[in-house]
Amino acid sequence: MSVIKPRFFPYGTKIHGTKLTQDCPTETMPEPSKVYISVSQHIGAPAIPVVNIGDKVKKGTLIAEASGAISANVYSSVSGTVSDICDIVNGLNQKQKHIVIENDFSGEQEFLPPLSDFEPQTLVDRIRLAGIVGLGGAGFPTAAKLTPKTQLDTLIINGAECEPYLTCDYRLMMERTQEIYKGIKYVARALKVSRIIIGIELNKPLAIKAFSEFSDLSVVALKKQYPMGSEKHLIYVCTGRKVPTGKMPFDVGCCVQNIKTVLAAFNAIENNAPLTEAYITVSGHGVKNPKNLKVALGTPFSELIEFCGGRTENANKIVAGGPMMGKALVNLNQYVRKTDSGLLCLNKTETSLDAPSNCINCGLCARKCPMRLMPMYIESFALAGNFKEAERYGAMNCVECGLCAYNCPARRALVQSISMAKAKIKEMKNGK
Amino acid sequence: MENNLIYSSSPHVKTKRTTRSIMIDVCIALIPATVMGTIYFGAYALLLVALAVVAAVFGEYLYLLIMKKPFREITREFDFSSVVSGMLIGLTIGTNYPVYTPIFGSLFAVIVVKMLFGGTGKNVVNPAIAGRAFIFISFQWAVGAWLLPNIGSVYGETVATSATAVVDVSKGTVPALSALDMLLGTGMQGCIGETCKLALLAGGIYLAARKVINVIFPLIYIAVAGLTTTIIGGFDVALFLPAILSGGLIIGAIFMATDYTTTPNTRLGNVIYFIALGILTAVLRYATNMETVSFAILLMNLTVPLIDKFIIQKPFGYKKQIKSKGENK
Repeated sequence: MSVIKPRFFPYGTKIHGTKLTQDCPTETMPEPSKVYISVSQHIGAPAIPVVNIGDKVKKGTLIAEASGAISANVYSSVSGTVSDICDIVNGLNQKQKHIVIENDFSGEQEFLPPLSDFEPQTLVDRIRLAGIVGLGGAGFPTAAKLTPKTQLDTLIINGAECEPYLTCDYRLMMERTQEIYKGIKYVARALKVSRIIIGIELNKPLAIKAFSEFSDLSVVALKKQYPMGSEKHLIYVCTGRKVPTGKMPFDVGCCVQNIKTVLAAFNAIENNAPLTEAYITVSGHGVKNPKNLKVALGTPFSELIEFCGGRTENANKIVAGGPMMGKALVNLNQYVRKTDSGLLCLNKTETSLDAPSNCINCGLCARKCPMRLMPMYIESFALAGNFKEAERYGAMNCVECGLCAYNCPARRALVQSISMAKAKIKEMKNGK
Repeated sequence: MENNLIYSSSPHVKTKRTTRSIMIDVCIALIPATVMGTIYFGAYALLLVALAVVAAVFGEYLYLLIMKKPFREITREFDFSSVVSGMLIGLTIGTNYPVYTPIFGSLFAVIVVKMLFGGTGKNVVNPAIAGRAFIFISFQWAVGAWLLPNIGSVYGETVATSATAVVDVSKGTVPALSALDMLLGTGMQGCIGETCKLALLAGGIYLAARKVINVIFPLIYIAVAGLTTTIIGGFDVALFLPAILSGGLIIGAIFMATDYTTTPNTRLGNVIYFIALGILTAVLRYATNMETVSFAILLMNLTVPLIDKFIIQKPFGYKKQIKSKGENK
């Protein structure tokens, strides 16, 4: 089907970002000698470990089981012996239970039972069993997203990858086109929808070309305008529907899935393989050879950096995720999770380390905000401790895309204050 | 911290633009007007501007040093906004002003109007305009007769108009100077930087190209002021050009009214602000027979918090919540 033009969206902005790894084919990184698999790689309740120290596991063995509807199974990504189950304070400063597996390099693999039919319910069950979560970064269990209360009519595939530096989705779209296409068809079947839209940013012409070959997909060539990968904005430019404040995409009949999520669904359905690997872009000017990698879950970040040639001298900021929304690490005890899509080593010239100065009321943050909020007011109310007023100015609608702070000439940490306000408002509501 | 890692909140990349770079852009945009002012009115004009700038910067340093901020830190955080204020004060007085006036004006602007309120971004009114108004009100007794520029009228006849040429306009008579003379500022009395409109427009184009100002808003201001004058003058179209090319309207529209701190934060708020400003300028000109751009801006500055209180952007997807949900399809 032909390529469709997206609906005009006047907010958001072009960000000058470098994609260093656009032309690097996805490499498979050799398995590390030890993996540290977190039991909480998704939104919701942490999975409960079902193995004990000393147990032999294969690649694809269930090691932690979902505990409730909003949770996900976790599988071993290597074959070997469970050597430890312990709490580790990871690079994001969160204390999480990790299952440590010593690799025996035998390469033994365990598969899920083959599917008997391809009915929608069977497919959803398989996606749940395989432990698939939203791999775009949020980590919401996909099976829960595929069982909406009302019948949907549109499936939107998010191929925007609007963050600078990250290219792993783009490479996958080019290298695994057929598999992604089949994955999309399975997900559409599970949702019982026939209208499928895939949104790809205009700076990926080859990916747009690859997907415009399929007659039952509509490709929307998104403008290079951050944050087109945001769920609500993608829905708007693809269908013209606005997700009302405080509502979810299924309220407007849409379901948005990430490229990597549909690829994982394909693997689970056709290859009977649970989710044990992540596609991740290691990039930034602080790493010697930026690469797109396919890695086993639980691989330490330090080994990823080593595999890419190591850090350069002044690369003092390590970010899990993209430069706009990713989290800076406080230590290197960070291991690849399902939702990871980027690992950036940024040197001092790339990151801004300017101290904040007074807000000069230029209004740029409000003009650029894709959610049409007024970050300067939310920030000043948040810093003054007036969270009620911050909420009145719509703090809860913030998607934390980072555009306000990106554009701020006074270098104010707007995102930080707003997310603080969000946390406090949530606390206030729960307290009542 | 372990491994010397730097931790900070997202986003980790930012634009190159800072408060300082914006202010330096404004300084660059004011250079053509300063040069033309020097050519027209001689070295004394340049001296006045330089004194204003030096006094403004000195005022900021003095205040911060009294506040016990280390000298090095002040220099590191210096954002050039006081240079902009100083330049504007120097450019909006005439060469008939005594040499000490820009110094008092700048010190008042920077210390009282800006620093006492909390520094850059915290001032309620535009410091440069407040400084100018301070000079205007305090030193009226010391001001001599207005001087004509070194370059005469293009058409050969030098007409001694008033300082701003608006008096004639508000009385409904077109000044004797041609529009071209008014644009170039030749043969016309006036303030150092306000005279050559062409130089100001060049600066305005630079600022618009650098996206420091949104070109729409000064245009709204100038157009509304011109139209209102035309309407007050009994729909005399001949008044339009003299109205916009006389006095300090151009410098006010491009450099003063667009000051970030003292304009509303929303597009709609800005449209309201600049329309009201245009009307107010023209009406005040008519009522007082004086150049009123700076006083109009000062008055409108005070309404900005009010505009910002009532004009707020609605979050994306907000309207749908109020309307019925049947609209989705």
